[in-house]
Amino acid sequence: MSKAWKLMKIMVKMQLSMSSKSAMEKAGYFFIALMMIPFGLLILFFIQGIIGNLYATLEPLGNESVILGLLFMMMAFIFSFISIGTVLSSFYFAEDVESFIPLPFQPYQILFGKSAVPFLSLYGLNTVLLLPSLIFYGLHSGAGILYYVFAIIIWAVTPIIPFVLTSIILMFIMRFANISKNKDRTKVLVGLLGFVFVIGINVLVRIDTGGENEDLARLITEQNGLLEFVTKFFPPAYFSSITLTELGTFTGLLYFILIITLSALAIFLFLTIGQKLYFKGVLGLSGGKRNNFKEENVQKQVKQQPVLFSLWKKEIRIILRTPTFFTQIVVQSLFFPIFLIVLIIIDPNSPLTGWGSDLNQMEGKKVILAMFGMTVVALGINPASFSSISRDGKSWFNHLYLPIPPSKVILSKLLVSFFLNFLSLMLITIAALFILEMPLTIWLLWFVLSLVTSWIASIAGLMIDLYSPKLTWTDEREVFKGRFIGIVPLALEATIFGVIILVLWNSGLEGIWSVTAVLLTILVLVSVCAQYFLNRLVDRNYYKLL
Amino acid sequence: MMIEINQISKSFAGKQAVKNLELSIPDGKIFGFLGPNGAGKSTTIKMMTGILPIDEGSISMNGVDISKEPMKAKHLFGYVPDRSDIFLRLKGIEYLNFIADVFEVPKEIRKEKIEYLTKSFGIYEALDDHIQTYSHGMKQKIVVSGVLLHDPDVWILDEPLTGLDPKSAYTLKEMMREHASRGKIVFFSTHVLEVVEQLCDEVAIINNGHVQFKGNMIEMRQQFKEDDNLERLFLELTQNE
Repeated sequence: MSKAWKLMKIMVKMQLSMSSKSAMEKAGYFFIALMMIPFGLLILFFIQGIIGNLYATLEPLGNESVILGLLFMMMAFIFSFISIGTVLSSFYFAEDVESFIPLPFQPYQILFGKSAVPFLSLYGLNTVLLLPSLIFYGLHSGAGILYYVFAIIIWAVTPIIPFVLTSIILMFIMRFANISKNKDRTKVLVGLLGFVFVIGINVLVRIDTGGENEDLARLITEQNGLLEFVTKFFPPAYFSSITLTELGTFTGLLYFILIITLSALAIFLFLTIGQKLYFKGVLGLSGGKRNNFKEENVQKQVKQQPVLFSLWKKEIRIILRTPTFFTQIVVQSLFFPIFLIVLIIIDPNSPLTGWGSDLNQMEGKKVILAMFGMTVVALGINPASFSSISRDGKSWFNHLYLPIPPSKVILSKLLVSFFLNFLSLMLITIAALFILEMPLTIWLLWFVLSLVTSWIASIAGLMIDLYSPKLTWTDEREVFKGRFIGIVPLALEATIFGVIILVLWNSGLEGIWSVTAVLLTILVLVSVCAQYFLNRLVDRNYYKLL
Repeated sequence: MMIEINQISKSFAGKQAVKNLELSIPDGKIFGFLGPNGAGKSTTIKMMTGILPIDEGSISMNGVDISKEPMKAKHLFGYVPDRSDIFLRLKGIEYLNFIADVFEVPKEIRKEKIEYLTKSFGIYEALDDHIQTYSHGMKQKIVVSGVLLHDPDVWILDEPLTGLDPKSAYTLKEMMREHASRGKIVFFSTHVLEVVEQLCDEVAIINNGHVQFKGNMIEMRQQFKEDDNLERLFLELTQNE
């Protein structure tokens, strides 16, 4: 086991090391940490409010345990969801595993080391979300010291089971996926499958909980009835909740032992199953498939196109074919619109359906300003734009000796992030027009505003990346991992547009058309300015990035 | 004179990589740029191709200054970089098409060229595969094919023979000879003396950022015997591989 520890230490060091970070990046981390403080306080405030309200409502019915149940269920869901990404990228997408395989390590030892960073990120979330929630629950229920001791232990074991379940499922899938020939495509598919899985579970839970309203009364009156109902998809959440609500009783202790045993068993299973499955899924992942050569296929692909289109197509192809880029860029920007649509579709009675028609009764100005605000936030973090330059990595120099004007290369990259934003805007459009039944004029005004906003967001992200690109990566993940600069454009846009929205909201200006006209004028002005600064930055930096 | 390099200098973080380098390369020659690792070969080539900005001095090809009219100059040469792990996620044919689009090669010529070049290098049947799946030599060959697509006047090749199998190396050398015999320039760098001896009409030996010798092969051998410094350099160059 000491070998495994050493390996883990090396892996953690390599992944979290600050040594390769520039002073600017370090300053960036500090700045972000500073910004997180008010944000964190806000979250704590929310959590405290929710738990307080729930406790006051549920306690008289003897159902306060459901708060913990919900909490543990939610955490399990969040942990599984996050683990899909981190496990795939750490276990399978990271190519560094190839340098560990020839060394005399057992698969479980490598697996152990590789789990460290995904696990650490889970504990980060665990500390931010679960720990304060458990403390607030303790405060509201007036719990004694015993509660806190158990709460800390439960807190420590909560991430284990969701993490292990997710990784075992993924290892199982990858073991078979590895048989396929096109490794890259498989990686992309497995990543997608993970997200489908999450949406699927959500759908299942919702379908299952619908139409049982008549039982609700029974559930509420029965002690812990609600808890059983809420946690029926994930028993460990039930065990944890009982441990903390039936403190000092035999049942409480029993469930505590049960959850500890289950977690220990999970780790054991993880390592033994991992020992059998892991290498089978990982071997040869970096290889690729050779097509059967067909002359016509090649001949068909020979055609002349404008350089701009050719550049754009090359970028899109690289994004779609590189698993890390695909999951970080395409899936991330399309996931939430799709998730939202699925949720609304499967639950036609939800308050959101047909909500758009209510918009007519609201003040036009406020509607459009609110929608614009949401769009700014939604398009603000745009991984396609802030990875525009960095994606090229060491291949960047190819743009320099080829006779393509810098402006054309930059434009093609802007068009790529604009296009990807456009796809999410189209998805939101479908949701808005057909499900929310939003009035056509409101949609049209919003859509025009959003297109310009998206263009500005693309410029902002690209400028940040051009200012401080990460070109020396050896693994595509480095383009995104720990590069918090993606937040900078969002912060910038939120500040600028936040002020504009605020001013317009409080101004005497009335009517949806005039507000839109003013907003559009401002947006066009902003994009002209942004373009000007972008051009200057291109002149200054384009040939000096290497 | 087709390539004129006038007193160029380049330094990185205070360290001078190239000092007042002066070279003129006439038409119709295979020109070898010889030097040990770290001599400044790649830096010079990167300045010639517009990858690195020139600190001092100027470079022109056919009278076109690379710093002043970069787009025009870049149309004149074809450049094979020393690293071939580029565009890995594209298929061979997609890469060639992209390069041909950049140089605006018309469809019919492109078709013919792609077929001729890739068949000569024996990679025609791999064109529908991702470059990622290619061996090192195949990657080198696809890059060379791309460069030759638009039939540039000047070929600039950074260590082009590394990683090529004997047959492909032979093919490439033949192509280089043929190109020079048409009155065009082949400029290539290497750290292997033997390659220069086999192939070059003229050679420049570079060390510590400046030219130590320039002339034809007979002159070079003569100099090696007379000049102590060059002799030491010669040993270094022959020991290298």
